[in-house]
Amino acid sequence: MLRREFAIADTCFLIDWSRYRRRDILFRLFRTVFVPENVLNEVKSENVITWISEGLRSDKLALYTPVSDEVEEARELIEESRLHPQLPSMDLPEALCLVIGRRRGYIVLTENRAALLAPKLLSKYRDVEVWRALEVLLNAIRYNIIEPDCSNPRKVFDEYCHDTLHIFPSKTLNEAIREVEELCRRT
Amino acid sequence: MQEDVISEIIEEEREARELRRRMADWEFINKQPPRIREALKYYIEKDDMRLAAKLAGLNIEEFRELLRKARIPVVV
Amino acid sequence: MGEDVIKEFLEWEVKARELRRRMADWEFINKQPPRIREALKYYIEKGDLYVASRIAGLSIEEFNELRIKARIPNVA
Repeated sequence: MLRREFAIADTCFLIDWSRYRRRDILFRLFRTVFVPENVLNEVKSENVITWISEGLRSDKLALYTPVSDEVEEARELIEESRLHPQLPSMDLPEALCLVIGRRRGYIVLTENRAALLAPKLLSKYRDVEVWRALEVLLNAIRYNIIEPDCSNPRKVFDEYCHDTLHIFPSKTLNEAIREVEELCRRT
Repeated sequence: MQEDVISEIIEEEREARELRRRMADWEFINKQPPRIREALKYYIEKDDMRLAAKLAGLNIEEFRELLRKARIPVVV
Repeated sequence: MGEDVIKEFLEWEVKARELRRRMADWEFINKQPPRIREALKYYIEKGDLYVASRIAGLSIEEFNELRIKARIPNVA
């Protein structure tokens, strides 16, 4: 199994993911998931704090302290994103994750649409891999971390939606389901 | 090619906004104090959680919980 | 020789963690609000003051005061 090494996760990903019944599969996909410091400032509930803290204790999560030129690049990225009216607004936390993703080759875990779209529109970030929960689940299935229910290929995605009240866009969800069906046919 | 990407983005956003509008619990939303109500309505239209949270005077986690109570899905 | 150093370090880490666990005032720790409690538990396991202070949302100095109140030794 090709295990990805590192990812960096922002707040909006973590606060939803932590509610997912199989949240710890994240640690089987990545050696370490970095959590930017600002995330700890934004997280308040016991459930999320406890999960993050347990992850930090077991070295599955690690704190990331950004350096000043990463923050500076993030500010430049925000400015550049404002020049593209098609891009939704991006704030510093997700811009920072993209910058770190670009500089360090980490996969960016986010539910922020601007961060998701930036690699498609901004050439400097075109090689940054951005995953939302959908891609995490799909990769978990690809790498046999989650066994799909071949009689109900959308079950894994529905479980996530149920646990978090998060809906995946129909086009990308249908593509993911088709891939699961194909994987089921092959086994 | 970028035009294709942009068309796709616009279509996805339109679909997402319609879903948020349709699934929202408008009875719950309309009962909220003005600040919260306007923040929820802003989020439904613009999908910007951080700014909506600031409008509501809440942190992002509290606002996410409020979205659940208002049955407004995050569509990403 | 590098292996000896690593082995010695790991043994020291195990002893330090056991000492922190044993000497901590668990009654005090378990009474704390979730963030503080988790930060103290993290510190006991890892001995990392900086990260623990980030979890707690406190300055390093404030967290160090807390560590002392919780009777967790700084084993260095």
